Order: sequence, then structure tokens, then C-alpha cells
Amino acid sequence: MSVASKLSDAAARESAGSGDYLSLRRGLLARPGRPGLASRQALSALTDAWVAEIFAAACATTGHDKGGVALVAVGGYGRGELSPGSDLDLLLLHAGKGTVASLAEKVWYPVWDSGVRLDHSVRTFDEGRKLAGQDLAVLLGLLDSRHVAGDPGLVGRLRSTVLADWRAAARRRLPALREAWDERGARHGDLRHDLEPDLKEGRGGLRDLVALRAVVASWVADRPHRDVDDAVRRLADVRDGLHLVTGRGGNRLLLQEQDQVAARLDLTDADALLREVVGAASAVTHAAEVTWRRADQVIRASRTRYLRGRRPVLRLLGPGLAEHDGEAVLTAQADPTADAGLVLRMAARAARAGLPLAPSSVDRLAADTTALPEPWPPAARDTFVDLLGAGPPLVPVWEALDQAGLVERLLPEWADVRHLPQRNAVHRYSVDRHLLETAVQAAPLVRGVRRPDLLLVAGLLHDIGKGSAGDHSEAGVPLAVTAATRMGFDDEDVRVIGVLVRHHLLLPDTATRRDLDDPATTATVAEAVGDTDVLELLHVLTRADAAATGPAAWSEWKAGLVDDLVRRVGLRLSGASAPPLPPLTVEQRRLAAAGGLAVLVEPDEAVTWTVTVVAPDRVGLFATIAGVLALNRLSVRSAQVRTESEMAVDVWTVVPERDHEPRADALRRDIVRAQSGDLDLTRQLDGRDASRRQPHVPPPAPRVDEAEGASETSTVLEVRAHDRPGLLYRLGRALALMGVSIRAARVSTLGAEAVDVFYVVDSTGGLLDAGSVREVSRLLADAAG
Amino acid sequence: MKLVTAVIKPFKLDDVKNALESFGVNGITVSEASGYGRQRGHTEVYRGAEYTVDLVPKVRIEVLVDDADADDVIEVIVKSSQTGKIGDGKVWSIPVEAVVRVRTGERGVEAL
Repeated sequence: MSVASKLSDAAARESAGSGDYLSLRRGLLARPGRPGLASRQALSALTDAWVAEIFAAACATTGHDKGGVALVAVGGYGRGELSPGSDLDLLLLHAGKGTVASLAEKVWYPVWDSGVRLDHSVRTFDEGRKLAGQDLAVLLGLLDSRHVAGDPGLVGRLRSTVLADWRAAARRRLPALREAWDERGARHGDLRHDLEPDLKEGRGGLRDLVALRAVVASWVADRPHRDVDDAVRRLADVRDGLHLVTGRGGNRLLLQEQDQVAARLDLTDADALLREVVGAASAVTHAAEVTWRRADQVIRASRTRYLRGRRPVLRLLGPGLAEHDGEAVLTAQADPTADAGLVLRMAARAARAGLPLAPSSVDRLAADTTALPEPWPPAARDTFVDLLGAGPPLVPVWEALDQAGLVERLLPEWADVRHLPQRNAVHRYSVDRHLLETAVQAAPLVRGVRRPDLLLVAGLLHDIGKGSAGDHSEAGVPLAVTAATRMGFDDEDVRVIGVLVRHHLLLPDTATRRDLDDPATTATVAEAVGDTDVLELLHVLTRADAAATGPAAWSEWKAGLVDDLVRRVGLRLSGASAPPLPPLTVEQRRLAAAGGLAVLVEPDEAVTWTVTVVAPDRVGLFATIAGVLALNRLSVRSAQVRTESEMAVDVWTVVPERDHEPRADALRRDIVRAQSGDLDLTRQLDGRDASRRQPHVPPPAPRVDEAEGASETSTVLEVRAHDRPGLLYRLGRALALMGVSIRAARVSTLGAEAVDVFYVVDSTGGLLDAGSVREVSRLLADAAG
Repeated sequence: MKLVTAVIKPFKLDDVKNALESFGVNGITVSEASGYGRQRGHTEVYRGAEYTVDLVPKVRIEVLVDDADADDVIEVIVKSSQTGKIGDGKVWSIPVEAVVRVRTGERGVEAL
């Protein structure tokens, strides 16, 4: 401030001719140190004094010194901030009586002659008001207008009139402003991931804040303030640095100038510079999205104003969660202090429903939520995987959590890659956004692997080592292992995630640079991956990673080479054989020997329960038990089912959907009633299904494979599908309809995806023939869809 | 002047590039290509399913050279890309009428 006042005083004291102005200006711009708000304000004040002097001298000669004319600064200059290379945005405003042509000449010529770039206009009060009513650009400029010299009353009147007009017409005109915002983002790119960002026009850039100021000025909605003001200041600083380095105006931060600009801003290097830009742009974009959502809600509400005063309409999304006015909100019942899993549950439900998170709810979570225990409970891990598999809606939800600092609380490793730019022509996104994008790209590919959870988590973590020194694949392994262990994956799963991170570039590197006909090539890859399950995971991860990188990273040609390599390696590897089912316990043996129907319920971990059902085997028993569990709102996490000497011993691990305690007597009664026909499971479950909320992004279609040669005594069918209540009931019923008996089954729910393996035989106890396999597979796929 | 074109196995690209550099070739153009020659397509069985591989991925290299160097450059490419197995690819050359360096307008050998 002192610099500004001193300089403007100095300028005012001296007869501020252009020569003095230019030398003072040069002196100001030549000052060492980081440019900032103070230097922009100083330049603005210095310039004010100079143009005011010019204006006064001109008025004196043309006889306009009686009022009715004024010199107005608009745009950024109007806000009292002038960047080194910016135009002087000046408006000569007059009341409309008589001509001002000669005055205008006498004002503009000295400015032109000085070489300072000028953006000028001459308007009457009425013209200014009319244009502001038609042209958004004029309006935005005038909203930031400031009196510099001449008749202050005239300027004040125009300002208040334009503002009042804007407030009156805001609900009608805001959609156009929003459209311009959308269109600008599409045309000028996005500061968050452009390698050569446009600091002014790009999404997240300086122009976004101008639009937001207009929204705020309309009184329709407020915007977030503290972080955003700081972010915009930092962006303006970068632009000042760019202007100073290039010696001219311009807003695009080209690669060739980034090192010099970084040095001018006292930053270590171009990476630090881009990281600053990405960080600031994320805050601006987030603020813009939140503000526009608010504005939309207000406009929508005003259209239905006759219903004002009614209670807010909440549609439940889950315990403590609801949809309100197009956003996911916490309800009054939600308790972030007691419920550490709430952050993840809210994020997952919102992403699956395609809803953004309400900022007030995110603030509440950020303030009140407690840390998850480590390792995470299984339910939290499942919810996390569910969130990662939600597809494109994952991105806005994650970014909202990240802005509030919630992501780093869940995943401290994220701090290393947050806003980290990639100076590499192949990459389209910063590292953090690329990791999210990889999860988004992996979501529709989950049917290609047996472990969707490991795929999605490895997708999110594969480049986590990019924030460390050295080879990022190697550096990422310990970070990913720590993160996966914290999430509660078991040792083997953690190992696989480590393998996926370490080798995420192995397939494309090998496929394009090694001789695929050389047995050593396939042997090396086979040794690195170990088994076909990991090979499958790595193959799908490679595709998701490439798709998330950018169009230059992948081609049909490269895909063909990688596919060929995977095929060759697959031939060398055997499948990971499923571990044998554990032997029956003494208690299970006793119940089986007793011969009747028995149901046991035992608490397992904090939230899971084990339900053991022993019963005489019959076709459809699996479906009946699965249906009864679904009817009692017990969601199945895993199950091991087998039949020995005509007695079925089924062990189910379930999570109660409503935190209720499963009751053995109720389950037993329902099984008996379903078997006698007193309870119509199909009708009950279908009725419930009808009210189920469809995910916003449809999950990939189910897939049924025969695992040939996996068993000598049974046909083995593997179903991969999106989980939903009653899924196992439907699968079991489809098998029963075909008269197929289930000898054993291994059911697992991984996040929101189910991978279920059925060992089946036909009515004679033999293997299914090829035709039956096709028919049964089709029915299973239908049932799972 | 001649245009030497080579279609080779992708993993041999680095070897060929290095060999051409040490020979003194100033610039090459590389593109992703696919096709088949005498090997035709072949069928592979993978996890029970049959795959027909009818177009094999290759890399296509193009080099503009002075007439006098053409045979040597062909020789360099053949030597550096040879594995001796089927599918090693082909190299050929064709006469070129005119070459212009866009930046300077230089023509002929000057533009190489």
C-alpha cells in the first residue's frame, strides 16, 4: 500500500507528463522480487494519476471542465489492479449533451503516443446502460468500473443503474453467462491439466472469477471467498511474471517461458510453477462449480415460488444421506463424529447416483469426521472400491473431498501427487487427475478381471511414486503397499497391488521393444506377473492407464502388440487355482449327521456375521437361502457352499444393511416357508427391486465364463456382475430352473462387484454338455443383468 | 535421390535407428503399420478360444538419401533388423524427383 501511495503521490506532485509516467512505470516494473497485489495496485495508482492529469488538461482546453463527463477505468484496471502487460481499459463517459469528439482525441492521443496499449470507448450514460443490458462482456466490464477523473456523480449513477438492471434481469441473463463459461472452458482448455495453460481464458483462470463476481453482484448466490481470493491472486502473480519475462501482454504460459517465469516468481522450477497454477485453478474451478450450482438452485426455486415455504424434499440415499435439490447432503441424523465411514459412504452413494456433494455437507464432514481405524474395516474398504468403480461421477466427488482436505486424511500418500504436473507431451492430465481418470477408465473394464477391487485400487495408486525421486514404478511400490495395508487388504492382495504398481509399464514396454517370438521375452513377463489372474489385472490396468493418459499414448497398433504378448504369456502360465474349501468343523459335521435343517448365526468381525445353514440338499436350496438372506436385508460378502453325502453345508458371511442383528429363528422360519411355498421370494424381492435406485452410470454388462478343466467332477461357471440385493437368489433360481445342482460355490463381493463361481452338475450328476453350458450361461447372464 | 522404405519388426526399431545414426543419416520418419507377407495370418488358441491374427503389427521407416548412399543404407537397415525368422520384413527404394526443405526452400541434396 505504501508503495502505491508513494508512487501516486510522486506522480501527482510532478507535472505528470508521459515521460515522467513512463520512467516511473519502468522503475516500478524493474523492481526485483515477486510481483504481487501490491505491485499491481501501485501500477494502477500511478496510471490513475497520469491519465487524470491528461484528462484535466484536455477538459481545460475543450471547455468540458463543468461536469457531465468522466473518465472511467473498467475491467481489471477498474478493480485497481494493473498487470505489466495489460491494456488500459478506459471509458470516456458523458451525459449526452453536446459533442465530446475533440475531448476524446485529446485524451487518447497522449496515451497512444506513450506506447502504452489502450482499450478505449466513448459512451453516453444511456448507451452504456443499453449495451450493458445486451452484451455480457460490456456488463462484466462495467460491474468493475471505477471513477478515475471528471464527474464522479455520473460514474456513480451508471454503476448503480447497471447493477440494479443486472439484479432485476439476473434470473433471465444468468443462463447466458453460464453458457459463456461452459463454452470458454471448452475452447480455451483447462488450467488444471493443460501443459501450456491460458491463465485468463482457460477453465479455472482469471476470467472465471470475473463471471463469479457478476453472479455475486446479482445477489442470486454467494461464492466461496478466502481460498479463492488467494488462488486468484496467485494466478495474477503468475501472469505478471509472464508479462515481465516476455515484455508484452498475453495469457498463455508457454513451455519455453516457464523456467524464466518460475525464476521471476522465486519458485524453484517450472514444475513448481505449474503446480501453483494447477492448485489455484482447482480452487477457482471448484468455487465456480459450487457457485453455479447454488445459482441454478435459486433460479429453479424461483420458478416454483408458489410452493415456497414447504419443507425441503429429501430423497434418502442411505443411512444419514439424502438427495436434496440435485446434491447429496447429510441428513440431520448423520453423525460424522461417531461414524468414521460416513465420508466414504457419502462419496460412494453420491458418485453412484451421479450427484455432486453439497458444500455445506462437505464442510461438516471436514470439521467433524473422525479418522477410520487402521486397518480399515471391510465395510469401509468395500465402500471405497464402490466409489472408485462409479465411473465419471467419481471425479467431481473426489475433487470436492480433496478441496476440503478429506482425501489426504484417507490417503496421506495423495499429498505427494496432488496437483503435480507432468511435463511430458503424451500426458493430458496432472498426476492426481490422471490417477482418478485411470480408475474411471478401469470401471467399465472390471468384467475383464477376477478382482475388480484390486484393479481399481491399483489404478488409483499406479503412479503414486511420481512424487518421489527415481523410477516412479519402483518408488510407488512401498507407498502403494502402505496404502493398501491401511485399507485392510490381506497380505496376498497387498502383494498383488505392489506387483501391479511395479510392473504397470511392463506390458507396453515389452510388447514394443522385445522380440515376442523369443521365449525369453515371455518367460521374463511370466515370471514378473506369476499367474493368469495378475496377468489379466495388468492387461486391463495397462488399457485403463493408456486411455487415461491421452490420445497419443495408445493406438490399435500398440493394443495389438500388447494383446499378442498377453496371449503368449498366458499360454505359459497356469490359472491361480482357488484354495480348497476349509474342512468342516466338528459342529458342522454334527449338524450334517443330524440330517435336518439347522441355522446358526455368529458375530464375525465388527460388522459382519457368519450364517451357517445345514440342510438336506435339493435343487434350488442355494436360491432359497440366498433369497431369504436378501429378504432379511443381509447383504452377502462371501459364501462357501458345498454338498457332502446329500447334505448341504453353506457358510455365508453377511453384513446387515440396517445395522440390525440377524436372527437364526427368523431365517430358519423363512427358509421353511419358502420351501413349502408359503413365502413367494420372487414376488417379495421383485417388489423391492422396483423401488431400487438405478446407478447414474450403468455398470458394465455381466459376464459368464466356463473355466474349462478347473474340475474333473463338475462344470465350473464363473459369473462376474454388478452386485445388487437378490443377485445370488436370481442366479441360484436360474440354475434351479435348468435342473442343475450346485455341488459347491464360492461367492465374493468386491466393492460393488460380485465374482461368483459355481461348481455344478446336471440332474444325472455328470458334467454339463456344451449346449447346456451355453444355455445355462445365457440364463445366468440374463439373471445377473 | 532415393526414398528407402523399410517395414520391420517393432522391437527392432531402436537398433535400426542407432545403426542409421552411426551411418550418418540425418532424419527418418517412423510410423505404426500393420500387414502381412508370406507368413500370412496365423491362428492361435488362447484359453480355449481361437484367435486369428491376420494383420501383424510392424514399424515402417522412411529415409530420404542421396543416390550414392541408397544401397549402403539398405544394407544397414537389413543388417540391423535381421533376426533370421519369418516376419522380419522388407526394405525397398524408389527414385525421388524433388525434395524441398520447407523452412529454407533448399532443394535436392541440400535439402536432405
